[in-house]
Amino acid sequence: MRFLLNLMLMLVVALAIGFGLSWYALTDGRLLGATQVGPWTAWPRAGSPDPDPYTRAYLARNGALQLGRSEGVQFIATSDSDGQPLNRACRYRIDGNTSTATFWTLVPTTADGATIARADGPAGFESNRIARANDGSMQLYVSKTLAPLNWLEITGDGPFWLVLTLYDTTVFSGVSTTDTTLPSIIREAC
Amino acid sequence: MVRTTLYLIAGILLGLLIHLVVILTLPGLASNNVATRLAAIGQLNKTVLLADVTPGAPNPLRLDPNVVYAMCRLDLSSGPGELAGTLPLAFWSVSVYDKSGTVLYSTTNRDGIGQTLDLGIFDQGQTRLLAEQKIDVADGLLIVESNSDQVYVVVRLAPEQPVMRDRYKAQLARLGCHNIKI
Repeated sequence: MRFLLNLMLMLVVALAIGFGLSWYALTDGRLLGATQVGPWTAWPRAGSPDPDPYTRAYLARNGALQLGRSEGVQFIATSDSDGQPLNRACRYRIDGNTSTATFWTLVPTTADGATIARADGPAGFESNRIARANDGSMQLYVSKTLAPLNWLEITGDGPFWLVLTLYDTTVFSGVSTTDTTLPSIIREAC
Repeated sequence: MVRTTLYLIAGILLGLLIHLVVILTLPGLASNNVATRLAAIGQLNKTVLLADVTPGAPNPLRLDPNVVYAMCRLDLSSGPGELAGTLPLAFWSVSVYDKSGTVLYSTTNRDGIGQTLDLGIFDQGQTRLLAEQKIDVADGLLIVESNSDQVYVVVRLAPEQPVMRDRYKAQLARLGCHNIKI
């Protein structure tokens, strides 16, 4: 009886660690293939010709058309800068600067990639078409309710993601170790 | 107690082994990776525009709604592949995916290519023939070596204004996608 209990314990621990760690590695993955900058997460080796096994498994699971290494880097935020999950009931201010890039886009989506901005408007922000402060910084608002400055109206309810794509960027290029500046996501009102 | 601890340690080791097996076998087992999805869209030797992202509709390839995409599917077993044409002055980039969905090569028009895209994709045998000068190619052809015969070339083009989308898509659709005769 004791032998059976020990065996059961071993199997439960093995399955929990085996599949739990795999699930963590391919969703959050911070300790393994993914890199975190504030609330933003990216898989820097996703566009490389020889991705590491974790990145390869992430790409297989995700099925997205990833950018090549010289094309750019995509960052995804599922929570704000305080760690609270992004929710469409709240108004968010995306505040700050991005790293050097030829251009970037910021698109709110659901977890399966569908865009959630108002159907008859733009699907997201684009760096060429926003108003900036004198120092080049930006303040973008994403909310269902009216907001000042650069505002993107979103629809629906529930959680959402912010997808920031930097095209032709110096991030992770090794040009500078300090050049990973990304904006904060600040929850203003719910 | 000692025995239970030993079983626990064995469980942890077995768990790590399961984790390794899952991570290493997943890419081979996944049926919906990017190459499978591109294969379902693209016809061989034809430039195909990827459908625009519709608000609220599923976007399995997670395309950027601000960018227009063209894809060219090539089979190198019938000769080296070529994607050629002229693109607008706006930002564009090109990437080559192999049959497992890995990006073999990518570049942007900021790398001094200008407006003309002329990309040749050669498998290992063809690259060797090229090095031995047994294949003649035009000057200025950007040469990429592929490790598989099934490749997908994706061109991303970013219109500065939404009004330019249709014109840019028409220009993308005119890209030539074919095998080079050797």
